[in-house]
Amino acid sequence: MLKIKNLKAGIEEVQILKGINLEVKAGEVHAIMGPNGSGKSTLSAVIAGKEEYEVKCGSVDFLGEDLMDLDPEERAHKGVFLSFQYPIEIPGISVSNFIKTSLAEKRKALGLDPLPAKDLLKMMREKMELLSIKKGYLSRNMNEGFSGGEKKRNEIFQMAMLEPKLSILDETDSGLDIDALRIVANGVNKLKTKDNATIVITHYQRLLDYIVPDFVHVLHDGKIIKSGDKELALELEKKGYDWITKK
Amino acid sequence: MGLIDNLVKYVQHQNLPENKRAVFDAFIKKGFPTTKDEEWKYTSLKKVVKPDYNLFPKQSMIDNSVINKYSLGIKDKIVFVDGNLIYSPEINGVKITGFSDFDFGNTDVISELNSALAESGFTITVEKDTVVENPIEILFFNFTKNSFSQYRNRINVGENSKIKIIEIIQDLSESTTLVNHFTHVSCNKNTNVEYNKIQNNSKDSSLIDSMYIFQKQDSVCEVNTLIFGGRFIRNNLNFEQNGSNCESNMNGISLLDGNQFADNHTFVDHKIAHCRSNEMYKGIYLGNSKGVFNGKIMVRQDAQKIDAFQSNNNLLLSDNSTIDSKPQLEIYADDVKCSHGCTIGQLDEEALFYMRSRGIGVSEAKAVLTYAFASEVIENLSIPELKNLSQRLLAQKLNVDLNFSL
Repeated sequence: MLKIKNLKAGIEEVQILKGINLEVKAGEVHAIMGPNGSGKSTLSAVIAGKEEYEVKCGSVDFLGEDLMDLDPEERAHKGVFLSFQYPIEIPGISVSNFIKTSLAEKRKALGLDPLPAKDLLKMMREKMELLSIKKGYLSRNMNEGFSGGEKKRNEIFQMAMLEPKLSILDETDSGLDIDALRIVANGVNKLKTKDNATIVITHYQRLLDYIVPDFVHVLHDGKIIKSGDKELALELEKKGYDWITKK
Repeated sequence: MGLIDNLVKYVQHQNLPENKRAVFDAFIKKGFPTTKDEEWKYTSLKKVVKPDYNLFPKQSMIDNSVINKYSLGIKDKIVFVDGNLIYSPEINGVKITGFSDFDFGNTDVISELNSALAESGFTITVEKDTVVENPIEILFFNFTKNSFSQYRNRINVGENSKIKIIEIIQDLSESTTLVNHFTHVSCNKNTNVEYNKIQNNSKDSSLIDSMYIFQKQDSVCEVNTLIFGGRFIRNNLNFEQNGSNCESNMNGISLLDGNQFADNHTFVDHKIAHCRSNEMYKGIYLGNSKGVFNGKIMVRQDAQKIDAFQSNNNLLLSDNSTIDSKPQLEIYADDVKCSHGCTIGQLDEEALFYMRSRGIGVSEAKAVLTYAFASEVIENLSIPELKNLSQRLLAQKLNVDLNFSL
């Protein structure tokens, strides 16, 4: 599904990603771990299409198309979804209006009519239940005054509504208490099918107790320096990053 | 020939009564205000008063389909065509007639001109203890080429009564026109008056709109000014509070593009203690458009316990658009709560990326954020048809096919 080859990218003169190679197949869950400043968030931003990042070389192939040629919205239409580490507050737009608009725009790009209001509401209700989201939430302004946990839950709610093929969860566990973590992880697991894939970016092994990865990669100084299975995450938890990064 | 010469010639033909003649002569002596006048510092009338306007309206017929095209679909309509009142509704407790002469002392130069020459307009009298459930829509159509029209209107709302009005001024002459619009509103004791203006006129139309509102105790008056079109607009909105526990609310949206210009001048005169005023104007400027906001709040010496709030927020969406914003607070009482805020900014890039990453295209994302910016005013409109129209016009002016209502 996703093939990243020798990806080098940065902001202005500063090179952050120094040659990333990664392949993600449908049905897989990959975890990317690494210390602060290793380039984890940059990698997710580059895949999602944030414009400040300049790609120097390499390619990111998504379902046979070079993602780097596409605008962020086109990537979303193709099925890329980024759950933001710091979701943006948009006062004046309700959650329901925001989601209605993004779903309609995605469907328009795919040549589909907007969902009838009744079906849309039904879908929202189902996905809200999945994430134990309370009723009044839809009419609240987008992320405004949300707690950290509510913001992250809102990200996964959007993911559930947009039904992406590739989801990148950027530090979705940060700011979540243990109950919220369980709910969010449970939601992600339920949304998993053999046709979609997930990249989980995290500092801690904790989240991986709930979202069990098929592969774990360690990112350090802009490169993947070690890959393994879920055991690698446990080992990192025990020993820290030093034993790999100092080699 | 300029407008002044035209006016002088026009008056020679009219048989003005002496008192009006005196007002007119006083106007001619002063002339139209220039940018040297403090109240017109950022607003030049030079180009507005330059064309050779026609002061004699023609008599036109109007098709109902035209009325319906511009109407919001409100049942009770007052319709003017070239200054003639052609429709007015029958409403219990409400008397609606055409122009009636009235004088109420010193105002501003433009309003003086209006008082000397206007021969068209409405008078609405609401009896006391009358709650008018449905809004009344007032439409002024003009078909006269290059017309300079003056409308003079009066609303008198009796004690304990309530009324809602929507006003639309629409030019259909496809030419350069000017309207000098004047409205005097008396809000008696314990009244509730809501006045909504849709200023979405044709691209060569200019409007100077002056409104003087007088409030007695326990009255609430709200004016919403929704500017989406027209070449030149100047709104003078004046509130005078003459009783305790009055509330004056004014909200505005200006969404301008091209070479459009709009100026909102507001003035709240807090003369009596224990009153409130709330003011929220949002400006969105594209192309080479220009906006002006001047919000004057006067709290007189004995007007204690006043709660006055004013905000003017502006979005400059192009490099060549400008806004001149001036809060002007004059407070002579010592126990009051007055606050004001003014912001000028652009759309949040982080929010734009966030929306694009959710599949919303650039223009749509900008439109949604712009709507979000304006939503405080739009969502508060109490008449659903008006709210829908504002949402539609906002999408239309920003060239997107989005439905903001949900």
